[in-house]
Amino acid sequence: MRHLIAVWKKEMRIYFVSPVAYVFLAVYLFLAGVFFYLGVTLTGEASLRVLLGNLAITLVFVLPMLTMRQFAEERRQGTLEMLLTSPVPLAAVVVGKWAASLTLCLLMFLGTLLFPAVLAYYGDPDWGVVATSYLGLIGVASGFCAAGLFASSLIDDQVAAGLIGVVMLLPFWLVGRSEALLPDDMAEKLRDFGVLAHLDSFNRGVIDSIDVYYFVCFTAVFLFLTYRSVESRRWR
Amino acid sequence: MNSTLRRRLAYGSNATLVTILLITTVILLYVVLEPYRVRVDLSADQGSVLMADTANKLRLLQADGETVTITAFSAQEGKKEAYFKNRALRDLVEELDYASPIVESQFVDFDRERLTAERLGVTEYGTVVIQRGDARVDLKDRELFRRVGKGADKALEFLGETAINQAFSQLMSDSRRTIYALVGHGELDPEDREPGGLAELAAAARQEHYDLKRLDLLRAEEAPRIPDDAAGVLVLRPRVPLTAVEEDLLLGWVASGGGLMMAVEPQGVVPSALGRVGVVVPDGLVLDKLLVFPYKDRPVPRYRNHIVTQALADELLVTVLAGVAPLQASVPPLEGVRSTTLLETSRDGWIERGGALLNGEAQFEPEIDTKGPAAMALALELSRDSGLVKRGTARVLVLGDADVFSNALLAEGPGNVTFAVNCLRWLVGDDGRLSMVGRPQAVRRLTLSSDDLAALRWVVIGLGPMLAVVLGAAMWARRRGR
Repeated sequence: MRHLIAVWKKEMRIYFVSPVAYVFLAVYLFLAGVFFYLGVTLTGEASLRVLLGNLAITLVFVLPMLTMRQFAEERRQGTLEMLLTSPVPLAAVVVGKWAASLTLCLLMFLGTLLFPAVLAYYGDPDWGVVATSYLGLIGVASGFCAAGLFASSLIDDQVAAGLIGVVMLLPFWLVGRSEALLPDDMAEKLRDFGVLAHLDSFNRGVIDSIDVYYFVCFTAVFLFLTYRSVESRRWR
Repeated sequence: MNSTLRRRLAYGSNATLVTILLITTVILLYVVLEPYRVRVDLSADQGSVLMADTANKLRLLQADGETVTITAFSAQEGKKEAYFKNRALRDLVEELDYASPIVESQFVDFDRERLTAERLGVTEYGTVVIQRGDARVDLKDRELFRRVGKGADKALEFLGETAINQAFSQLMSDSRRTIYALVGHGELDPEDREPGGLAELAAAARQEHYDLKRLDLLRAEEAPRIPDDAAGVLVLRPRVPLTAVEEDLLLGWVASGGGLMMAVEPQGVVPSALGRVGVVVPDGLVLDKLLVFPYKDRPVPRYRNHIVTQALADELLVTVLAGVAPLQASVPPLEGVRSTTLLETSRDGWIERGGALLNGEAQFEPEIDTKGPAAMALALELSRDSGLVKRGTARVLVLGDADVFSNALLAEGPGNVTFAVNCLRWLVGDDGRLSMVGRPQAVRRLTLSSDDLAALRWVVIGLGPMLAVVLGAAMWARRRGR
């Protein structure tokens, strides 16, 4: 745990001493503001459903950009070898980096708490639904951070890692919208692999055990793949 | 093969195998766990997961494995509540889909997928069609949503799950109920497809699991009697008087707790059974200043508070009647008879009894006419205290117009089908579909003026990014200062 916290701190410092975190925060909060405003004007409802649905999709493109640096940069600078030969367990490195990117996401979500406050001022939002919607969004962010980290571990080039991350995540979004492209039966089966199908219940105020399992496994599998990918440098 | 390659192959294949094994286990566990999913609803109205009763009915339906197809059509785009209606309906059908493997649901955009609407014979936005084998139940928008409150507090509520729950009950029940329409005296005929017939009402009733059949007591092969399977009897505008035997049979039917609906016309034949249950049909024609344009004899009815008219009042649907006879419950009321007015004119209405015309139109003349509001439809509930009923409570509906149910007006009046179907439901005691109880979901609206929106735009779009930029600038300045 000590090692994990050390890695997390180091990553957080890198985020916040460079303009990266602030740029991401500013862009993300701007987009969130636009989605919120559009949602309120279009539906007139005291609900964050439109906003959080759109924010989840935005994460497909934003998070790989946030995580692309984490392993690719270490490899490019040659510090990964140092990290691998240090007494820090590899699992702590992987989880620490993932936790740092997830923390940045949580800070971005913290910035969006202005919107429920606005809803409470002008209406009577369903706080249960607001809470579960955020929980769903955190699930998506957790999974996408892990996937972005995996993409970053595959290649030395940051931009290429970011693009690989986006390409890797796109299918998880698109299968939820594949009815028009695929036969009904296949689209129905593939839908379960998509993120949107598992976010839907959260957005309605429902915590479904299978959705929680999906997001936990999504994260765990990509963290495991990242571990394997980085570890492969030891024997390749 | 050198040792480096051998080592890479060993590690590589090992890593690949472990990865494949992990992913396979995760997927298999997903498949195994999915049927045992636990859903916890944290929403305020607990409306996001199905009620226990609906889940039970789905399990019963699942027992024989026959697929239940639910096709929900979208609300009319551009209407104020369309977003809420579509979202509520879409969520519900998806929840039903989750809950049972035999449910196949589909949310259809009414405007874009007209072919689906045509195939199912759906003509109204927001309709839900539930099918199981040959059985089918249609739920209209007004059965799924209702307005509650008054004035500024008026809000829309979603009753979809209760309505679909009851539709499941209908699908499970193989029994259909039979309502008989008396014929032989010039009444409206359920097999008549002409504008003055009842074929359209029979079709609407069929969807409700009611079979509307002819009852000819005059041409009976045996001693005339109301059939044992009758759930209700209609006597819609007889043109010649009923025989004494028929009148006795109808009163006997009421005495046994049966539902009877009678419709008369101005200056027409009035069955004597009407007088026995305490309804008088005064001379004259019901008129009102508020008329269905361009007709002079079609007063716009006002709905009184009753479960038959509740949905019509909520949705502001107009029921069109033509040439209406006035009705009056006896004063003082008969003991054991509870009479409720369903339809009446406004205060500007009256009972016209002739007199001079002004510009070709009838006018209220206090000397000969009777001032309104004038009743056009009454609902009576007769208990044993009335002495007319031997068993339970009998229901009698009396209408001052039979044309309201005719093929012509059923197609013309926006509220006529609802009124007709609700009358039949009440008559046979299917109150469940009239008074929806359960747990309605309310739309949570924002009260935002255009000024609020303008101010909000800058706050929600500008404030967050600005804070992030200020923080970033502060950090940059601090680092430069070091």
